[in-house]
Amino acid sequence: MKSQTLFLVARRLLRLCALIVAVAFAVFVLLKASPFDPVNAYLGPAIAHVGPEQKMQIASIWGLDRPLYEQFLRWAGNLLTGNLGYSITYNTAVSEVIGSRIATSLILTGLAWLCSGILGFGLGLIAAAWEGHAIDRIIRLYCYILAATPTFWLGMLMLALFSVRLGWTPICCAGPIGVPADDVSFLQRIHHLILPLTALTLFGVAQIALHSRAKLIEVLQSDFIILARAQGATRADIILRHGVRNAALPALTVLFATIGEIFGGAILAEQVFAWPGLGRATVEAGIRGDVALLLAIAMLTTLIVSTGNMIADMLYRVVDPRLKERR
Amino acid sequence: MMRLVCIWLAAVVGLSSVTSAFAAPKDTLVLAIGGEPENGFDPIAGWGSYGNPLFQSTLLRRDVNLETVPDLARTWTLSDDHKVWTIKLRNDVRFSSGEPLTAEDVAFTFTSARKSANALDLSVMDKAEALDPYTVRITLHKPWITFVEAFYTLGIVPARAYGPDYGRHPVGSGPYKFVSWTEGEQLIVAQNADYYGDKSPFEKITFLFTGADSGLAAAHAGAVDMVATPAQLADSVPKGFRAVPVQTVDNRGISLPFTKPQQINGRTVGNAVTSDPAIRKAMNLGLDRKLIVDVALHGHGTPAFGPADGLPWSGQSDHVAFDPQGAKALLEQAGWTPGTDGIRAKDGLRAAFPINYPASDATRQALAETAAELLRPLGIEATPRGASWEAIGHVMNSEPVLFGFGSHSPYQLYSLFAAKLAGVEYMNPSFYSNPQVEALFEQAQSAPGLAASMPYWSEAADHYGVKGDNAWAWLVNFDHVYLVNACLDLGKTQIEPHGHGWPITATIANWRWTCE
Repeated sequence: MKSQTLFLVARRLLRLCALIVAVAFAVFVLLKASPFDPVNAYLGPAIAHVGPEQKMQIASIWGLDRPLYEQFLRWAGNLLTGNLGYSITYNTAVSEVIGSRIATSLILTGLAWLCSGILGFGLGLIAAAWEGHAIDRIIRLYCYILAATPTFWLGMLMLALFSVRLGWTPICCAGPIGVPADDVSFLQRIHHLILPLTALTLFGVAQIALHSRAKLIEVLQSDFIILARAQGATRADIILRHGVRNAALPALTVLFATIGEIFGGAILAEQVFAWPGLGRATVEAGIRGDVALLLAIAMLTTLIVSTGNMIADMLYRVVDPRLKERR
Repeated sequence: MMRLVCIWLAAVVGLSSVTSAFAAPKDTLVLAIGGEPENGFDPIAGWGSYGNPLFQSTLLRRDVNLETVPDLARTWTLSDDHKVWTIKLRNDVRFSSGEPLTAEDVAFTFTSARKSANALDLSVMDKAEALDPYTVRITLHKPWITFVEAFYTLGIVPARAYGPDYGRHPVGSGPYKFVSWTEGEQLIVAQNADYYGDKSPFEKITFLFTGADSGLAAAHAGAVDMVATPAQLADSVPKGFRAVPVQTVDNRGISLPFTKPQQINGRTVGNAVTSDPAIRKAMNLGLDRKLIVDVALHGHGTPAFGPADGLPWSGQSDHVAFDPQGAKALLEQAGWTPGTDGIRAKDGLRAAFPINYPASDATRQALAETAAELLRPLGIEATPRGASWEAIGHVMNSEPVLFGFGSHSPYQLYSLFAAKLAGVEYMNPSFYSNPQVEALFEQAQSAPGLAASMPYWSEAADHYGVKGDNAWAWLVNFDHVYLVNACLDLGKTQIEPHGHGWPITATIANWRWTCE
C-alpha cells in the first residue's frame, strides 16, 4: 500500500518535470519569436553609443547566433546550475528579484486563495441548504456578477470608493508613502493588504461557491440523505455530517484549480494597487522585454500551479477513501 | 456572515485612523511626477541628462530664465584655440558622506563618463585632469562648444566611493541625499544638511513611481502634493489642487525622409514622396497646428514650427501662417494632381505615406491621427500606424515618424540636422543634409563661447526650417500640466525640455508651502 503511494508520487513528479521542460521550451520559443531584440533590451538607453559590431559581439558572447535548440540547451544548462540570468528591468540577478518579491506576492495570493476557498465553500453550502430561497438567489446573483467581473476593474472601483472617496484604505503600495520598505510596521502592512486581498478574494469566491453549491444539491438529493431525513435528521445535521464531506471533494478540486487563476488575477490586481510583487514584475518585464525574468516567472508559475494540481490529486485520496481502493 | 462583515469594517475603520497619524507635517512633500531611471541614479550611466540630477551637483546650472549660473564651478574659461577648458571649483563643497569634493572627483567623473556609453556628447574630450585640488583642465580634440552641455548635466560623483553599485546608492553633493528606492514604487530623499546652495524648505521628499493613473488617484485621495498629468486628463483637477501649465520645448513633429529612396550601408533610406520639397512645404503650410493642439492636446500646448521654439538657438523667423490654399496651389504647380479619390499623384506616384508612432503613446497616436485627417483635404494620404520602437527603428529612415525632442542645449539641432549623425540611432533619422547648415554648425561649434555660437545656430533655421528645406513638419510644443496642491507655490518655472515631470525639480529651492 505504501509503496504504491510512493510510486504514484514518483510518477507525478516525473510528469511535473516533463511539463516544466515542455513549458520552458514553449515560452523560450515564444519569446524568441517576439519582436524583442534581447541585445537592444539589455543595452537600454546605452544603445546610442554602441556600434553594430559591438552588438554582434554581445550577441555572439550570448550565443544568439547559434541555432535555436542550442540556445535553449545553453539556457536550460544555466538554469540547472541555478543561474537564472540577469534582469535588465531591475539591474540585478533574476534570483534576487524573485527572492525579494515572492514573499510579498505569496502573502497576497496565498491569503486570497485561502479566504476565497473558505468563503466560497461557506456561501456554496448556505445556498445549497436553502436552495430556491431568497438567500440562495442572492448568493447566486452575487456569484454570477462577480464571475463576470474582471479583477482589475473591481480593483479600480474599490480604489475609487474606499481609497479616493472614503479615504479608509491606502491608495497604493505595500507600505505607506514616504516610509522606506524596511521601516513599515506590521499594522501598516495589514492596512495596505486589505484592499488588494479583498479584490482578489472576491474574484476567487464566485467559482468555488457555485461549484460547491451544485455538488451539495446533488448530494442532498441522493438516497442516503432521504434516509437520514426520514430518520428525523435536522437540516444542520444533514449539511454538516453528510453534505460537507461530500461537497468538499469538488470544492477542493476547484480550489486547487483556481491557483492558476488567482495568480493570473494577482498580476492585474498588483498592477492596479501598485503591489510590489511578482505580478507587477511580470508586467514590467513584459513591457521592457526582460527575457530572463519573464522566463523565470513563467517557470515558477508552472511549478506552483502544477504542484497545486498535484496536491489536489493527493488530497482526493485522503478525503475520499474510495479513490484509494480503485487505483 | 454579518458578523464577518462587521469585523471587516471595524478593522478597516480602525486602521484608517492609524494612517491619518501620518498626514504630513508640512516639511515633507510627496510628488507623483515620474522620472524613475532605468539604470539607477548614476550620472555616468546617464542619470540627470534630462533635467536635474538632484543628488549630485554639476559644474554649472541654468536658472529659471535658463541663464547660466555657477554651481560647483567658480570660474570657467576657454583657451584661445577653443580647445582647453580651465575650471576653478568652490572649495567649500562636501559630499553627503562628509568627504570634500575636489578636482580629482570632477576629473574622474568626466573621464569615466567619456568611457561609458551614455547620452552625453563627450566623444570630443581628450582628457580631464586635476591641476590642483580645486582646478580642473579639460582638453578637447577640436573646438566643440556644445561640450559645455556636460557642465550643466553631468553630476559629479565621488571618485573614491564610486563603484558598480553606485546607481542604487548614490552619494553626491546636491541639495538632497538618497534615503531609499523601491523600484516601481517610490524614491525617498532627505535634505543634504551640508548643501552649499540655497536650501529648500522641504526636509523630505517622496517621489511616487506608480504610474500616471495611480498618481492621479492619489492626488484625488489627497495623498500626494503634486502630480504630472497627461494633457487628456488635465481638466479633472482634484479638490484643493490647481493646474499649473508649464511652457516647454517638449515638441512633437513628423520626420520627413529627405532623400530619394536608396540603400545606405544595407539600410533603406529615403522616401519618394517626402523627398519632394513641394510635399514638405505643402505640409508645413497646410497643417492647422492650432487645431491640432485643440484636438490632440485638449488645448494644452502651442503650435510648433521648429525643434527649439522660443530658445536663443531657434530661428528668429522660423514660422509660417496656416495657408491651405497656398499649399494646394503649391502642389498643383509642382505637378501633383488629384486623382478620382482626391489623393494627388505625380508621374504615377501617389502622395501617400504612413506616419509611424509608438503604439504605447496615446498622445502621439492622437497627434498622428489628427495630422493625417488634416492632410487629406490637401490631397495627401497619410496613414497613422502604431508600432513598437523596435519596429519603428527599422523603418524610420524611409518613412515619416512622429518623434518628440526638446532640450536645453543647441546640440539638439546638431543631432537632428548634421549629416554626420544621419542614421546614428535616433539622431538625424531623415538623413537630412545641407552644406550651408553644415558650414553654420561648424562655425557654431568653433565659437569662443556658447553665447557667441547662438547667431550661427539661429541662422541654420533659415535653411532647415520652414523658410528653407522644410526638413520636418513640427506640430506642437506641449504644455506640461502639473496638478499642484493649492498650498504649494512653485514660483517661476523653467521652459521645460522633453520629459514631463522630473525637470520641474530643477527649481525646487524656490518652492514654498503657503498654508499653515
